[in-house]
Amino acid sequence: MLTADLLANAVVAGILLGGFYAAVAIGLAIIFGQLDIVNIAHPAFIIVGAYTAYILNSRFGFDPVLVGVLAAPIFFIVGAGIYRIYYAAFERTGQESLSGLAFFFGVMFIIEVVLILVYGVDYRLVAARYIGSTWSLGFVDLPFRLLVPFVTAVALTAGVYAYLSRTFMGRAIQAVAQDRLALQLMGANPVSVKQWAFALGMATAAIAGSLLIIIGPVEPSVGRLYIGRAFAIVVLGGMGSIPGMFIAALILGVVESLVTTFWGPSWAPAVAFGLLLLTLAFRPSGLFGR
Amino acid sequence: MASRLVASHVEAGYGSVRVLHDVSVNVNAGETVVLLGSNGNGKSTLIKCITGIVQPTSGEIYLERDGARIDLVGKSPQEVVDLGIALVPEGRRLFPKLTVEENLLLGAFRMGARSKIDSNLAFVFEAFPPLRERRNQLAGNMSGGEQQMVAVARALMSDPEILLVDEPSVGLAPILVSRMIAKIKELKDQRHLTVLMAEQNFNQAIKIADRGYIIVHGQIEFEGGSAADLRDNDMIKQYYLGL
Repeated sequence: MLTADLLANAVVAGILLGGFYAAVAIGLAIIFGQLDIVNIAHPAFIIVGAYTAYILNSRFGFDPVLVGVLAAPIFFIVGAGIYRIYYAAFERTGQESLSGLAFFFGVMFIIEVVLILVYGVDYRLVAARYIGSTWSLGFVDLPFRLLVPFVTAVALTAGVYAYLSRTFMGRAIQAVAQDRLALQLMGANPVSVKQWAFALGMATAAIAGSLLIIIGPVEPSVGRLYIGRAFAIVVLGGMGSIPGMFIAALILGVVESLVTTFWGPSWAPAVAFGLLLLTLAFRPSGLFGR
Repeated sequence: MASRLVASHVEAGYGSVRVLHDVSVNVNAGETVVLLGSNGNGKSTLIKCITGIVQPTSGEIYLERDGARIDLVGKSPQEVVDLGIALVPEGRRLFPKLTVEENLLLGAFRMGARSKIDSNLAFVFEAFPPLRERRNQLAGNMSGGEQQMVAVARALMSDPEILLVDEPSVGLAPILVSRMIAKIKELKDQRHLTVLMAEQNFNQAIKIADRGYIIVHGQIEFEGGSAADLRDNDMIKQYYLGL
């Protein structure tokens, strides 16, 4: 039954969830949106981030968000290494479109299988004081397990946006897929720029993973649910536009939340692909496409 | 710091196609030298060899700076830019989905240019007032003439000592061609640049030339010691202008 407080709670929960989706999609907004690299393994790296938070939280009691921030530089270095392999094996010889996709597909499966072999298929979760408590504002509830990821994701999005628009490297990242040679004529090395950008995108996966496991328990194949969502958000947001990506993530979060509340949770995964199809049909350049 | 740019006995091509045959060109500090020739004769290829986009198969390209010699052959475009050599490329090659200002700021990517970014930005906005008005517009949405302004301004943002200009007239209306060429001369004088310009519009190019070379089928057919030399040469009228 439709009541005002049910609707308000669904919308608020959707906005909070959407903020978290922005953290999931922001790495792809750089890697896929700016660099045109179809990194289908990005959600799998987010799961690695979630397990990193789980391990350090369960062993040492570290706060999951803190783990995400501390793991980000390590993910950055791993990302730089992965781009090097991708560049040497595919991009340098111009085979990135299909072989590159297969490469990331393979990486995704390897990550999933390794996690299953080491940790099994059981759901894992983290403990923190704020998980489980709720902040009530009148008839609207703000659960901390959604509020903390939302606030972290907003900070992450703002930080990445400022970096891309205000720094020399950030502007070079935006330019590299538009005209490599012209970028060289500006004195920048396109391979280094792409490596830096890919690494930056990977670093965000560490933080997104820690947020994912705050929201709910995680098992190795959960990442697959986020492939469609993340790509839909990047396309809807206009391929590489960070503000567009954030708005698109909020839209997806709210629509999913409304569908879950009024039609049932089994419909929620269809929302992302529905939005993706509608975007491609009616506005292929996305909401904020340049 | 005064640099002389020398290309000596350069041979270059694409795959099995030879484009440049024994081409020797030099540009002294403070000169405006034009490289004249119609399409497909190798002007752009020589510019690409100097900037490291195409590697010559033989010959030497170097900079003489303060008595030292700096080889350019084997260097990547980004390393050449770092030496203070900026290129306004043929077809402009702007970043179409970035704003005018973002394009200009990218021009100052090289370390040597970053400390002068404010004064250089003020300078190019002064030189090209329409760019100041349209600084937040996407470069891809500008007219051809404005895009050429962005391309020249972006090259100046790298704070160059030597400016290479490849076919500034392509795609511009005649009135804009003559304005752009005059502007290049004006900028050269204001910034004490050394300019090498490849251009097929003979009459416009020689207006600002101190000296020039005529390139035909990948060979230097004539070297003119002054603009008058170029203008009055019979061979030019015959071969090049078809008179």
